[in-house]
Amino acid sequence: MELQKNLKRIILAELLVPLALFVFGAYHGVLQVLYLAGVIRANSFAGIDYYEGLTAHGVINAIVLTTFFAVAFGYTVIGQELKSHVSIAGAAISLVLMLSGAVMAAAMIFLGKASVLYTFYPPLMAHPLFYVGLVLFIVGSWVPMWTWIPVYLRWRKEHRGQKTPMGVVGIFAAFIVWQMATLPVAFEVLVQLLPWSLGWISGINVMLSRTLFWFFGHPLVYFWLLPTYVLYYTMLPKLAGGKLFSDFAGRFTFMALILLSCPLGLHHQFADPGISTTSKGIQGVLTLLVAIPSLLTAFTIAASLEHAARRRGGKGLFGWWNKLPYFSAENWMFPYLFCGLLIFLFGGITGIVNASYSMNNVVHNTAWVPAHFHLTVAGPIFLGILGGSLLIVTGLLKKPVVSGAMAMIVPYVWMTGTFIFSTGFFIGGLRGEPRRTNMGLTYMNPASPSYRPDWFVPAHLGMVGGCIMGLAVLLYFIVLIRSLAAKPVPAEAPFALPTSEPYHDEDVAAVRNFAPWVAAAVLLCAAAYYVPIANIVKFGVTTAPGFRPDSPAAVNTTH
Amino acid sequence: MSINVFEKRALLLAVASVAVSLALIAYATWGMGINVPTCIPLGSKPFQQASVTRHDGLNYEVHYVARMWAFEPSVLRVPTGSTLDIYAVTKDVTHGFLIAGTNVNLMLVPGAVANGRVHFTKPGIYTIVCHEYCGRNHQNMNARIEVSDQIADYSVEGLPASEGAKLLDAKGCLACHTVDGSTGVGPTFKGAWGAQVQLADGSSRKLDAAFFLEKVRHPTELAVKNYPAVMPEIQLTDDEINEMEAYLEGLQK
Repeated sequence: MELQKNLKRIILAELLVPLALFVFGAYHGVLQVLYLAGVIRANSFAGIDYYEGLTAHGVINAIVLTTFFAVAFGYTVIGQELKSHVSIAGAAISLVLMLSGAVMAAAMIFLGKASVLYTFYPPLMAHPLFYVGLVLFIVGSWVPMWTWIPVYLRWRKEHRGQKTPMGVVGIFAAFIVWQMATLPVAFEVLVQLLPWSLGWISGINVMLSRTLFWFFGHPLVYFWLLPTYVLYYTMLPKLAGGKLFSDFAGRFTFMALILLSCPLGLHHQFADPGISTTSKGIQGVLTLLVAIPSLLTAFTIAASLEHAARRRGGKGLFGWWNKLPYFSAENWMFPYLFCGLLIFLFGGITGIVNASYSMNNVVHNTAWVPAHFHLTVAGPIFLGILGGSLLIVTGLLKKPVVSGAMAMIVPYVWMTGTFIFSTGFFIGGLRGEPRRTNMGLTYMNPASPSYRPDWFVPAHLGMVGGCIMGLAVLLYFIVLIRSLAAKPVPAEAPFALPTSEPYHDEDVAAVRNFAPWVAAAVLLCAAAYYVPIANIVKFGVTTAPGFRPDSPAAVNTTH
Repeated sequence: MSINVFEKRALLLAVASVAVSLALIAYATWGMGINVPTCIPLGSKPFQQASVTRHDGLNYEVHYVARMWAFEPSVLRVPTGSTLDIYAVTKDVTHGFLIAGTNVNLMLVPGAVANGRVHFTKPGIYTIVCHEYCGRNHQNMNARIEVSDQIADYSVEGLPASEGAKLLDAKGCLACHTVDGSTGVGPTFKGAWGAQVQLADGSSRKLDAAFFLEKVRHPTELAVKNYPAVMPEIQLTDDEINEMEAYLEGLQK
């Protein structure tokens, strides 16, 4: 069944507008590594301040691009797998809210009124419209799931006894996590930051803001990751020429991520004062439990690839590795997912380092952290977004990919750049190099008393890697623009995402129903967060005034 | 259909490796005594002044104050073998506090006191890096600890002249003059030193040692424009005046 015509238009807007914004996001990524290595020694370049560019890089790449892709991909999967029409009004409302929010926030950033980074930690205070933009964007992203639920319930009634399609499970998992995670941050923005930036309240409890933010900030990464997991479980085995090794593994992973995504944000606050070691320890343990579905995913995907390779004639204990379609211009999507997996291997391992409680003391807030998350969000997630967007956009517009060979090269170039970039940042981080700091002016400036010669090599490795990543993005946009400009080719069948069949189709009742997992997740969140939040509310100082990033004088908010 | 045997083993292996990781973390925490920062119970208000206190032997208690964009003290020199109990607060936004090359890695959040302990076994220069974005000059914000075999006790740079601050408080000056830039009965002291003062009679004077002395001796004759001429005469020794001046000078940074 074909997607509704207007839905196709909405999906195209949700994919192409953020990709256009991403041009700025990527540009500021490349500029940053130049600042960090001291190639640019200035507060600003070409009219844009370092921290303004850094804020744009974070907000556009990590929030706008990722969330729009999740929504667009979600509509594609739900429409295709449930073979039903979804509410166009809902999709349109969501698009309008998200677009206006994104434009509002981006405008404030580029006017220099919101250089507060994508974590927007108070007491740094941005322009009220920046916060309004965030709220509109988040609320807009809530709409789709609520319009999918009646469609899904109807499908279940009409298909009693049938398993929910795997992609639908994954998409609902993503948006359930998103709904749970964004409520606290919406509270932070609406009840604390917005009235405070408008001068309606003179002070806020900063520890509470941080805790609410990280309640959201970590599940955010699972929300990014889950659409990519859908690609891994539903598409990768098919692209490799085989079947999904285990149906159970996918369903278990999605349910486990619903359960475990939220009650572990405190691992971002291991270094914070005002929270007891007991609360931090409990969430530290919960954090490591996420490794279980991740390791099971690693096994299942590897087993699926082996199954595919053996069907292609692969032999031996390791010999089958040679038989996968690594460099096929027709199957250009395969390396987007495969390179993402390779990058994610290192992203996962280094994430365990960050999450390992007292080991965090060594790396917290150093360059190690961006090194790690560029192997997750800028690895499997970003490559999934690039590949998935190209696939869906060209599919819906019935355009050829021009050229498949060039599209196929992009993930390899990106992977090379990411590995070099992250190696530099890992080493720098272990030597104490701070993250998100305009180092060219001081730490990477031999004329400054703060100069750190031991950070020179890591910062330059980061620069080389970052420039290669920039090259990959350039190649990608050449492919995207050439494909969009190409003449449409008539296709016999309507566009559909490639979907794998299961090899082992286990029937485990425990992973077939969302409700118990969602209920358990809510209870676990309450248990993990009740004590720290109660203490912060009871003992926290509630009078922190705001500060603009360019002045040490507090903003006088009482009019 | 039941779950494949290899998949079961993979799941078991995943659970086992998580269990081993957790056991190692527990050992690091309790066996080796490496923990993360916890809550410091606050008596009433966090301290506002940076200070260094020597306890017995080479044990020091250091109170750091962070602000946009500096740490107080900016330089601390201690003998090799010293143990520092560090307490740190911020006066404005959230700052980071990482002593590069050590396990001390703290967030300084408004309204809370961060705490860490470091033992220096090797001489060297250790950089304290603010690793949380704190505004436009964040990249300038660092301090250092110099650990040396050549010294017997600590020395320090970049501490505010705390005697002067105590005197201003004791003599009642702070009842009318603030030190944080906010408005009071009289003009704020923040950034006032060296600046021009508009007087009620239309003239203007630079706030320097000479004017400060005159103003203290003859407060109402030198009334400041737009402020009530209510300042009382205050008896101060020359030493006390010098201490206050040193403090006020520091307030403009």
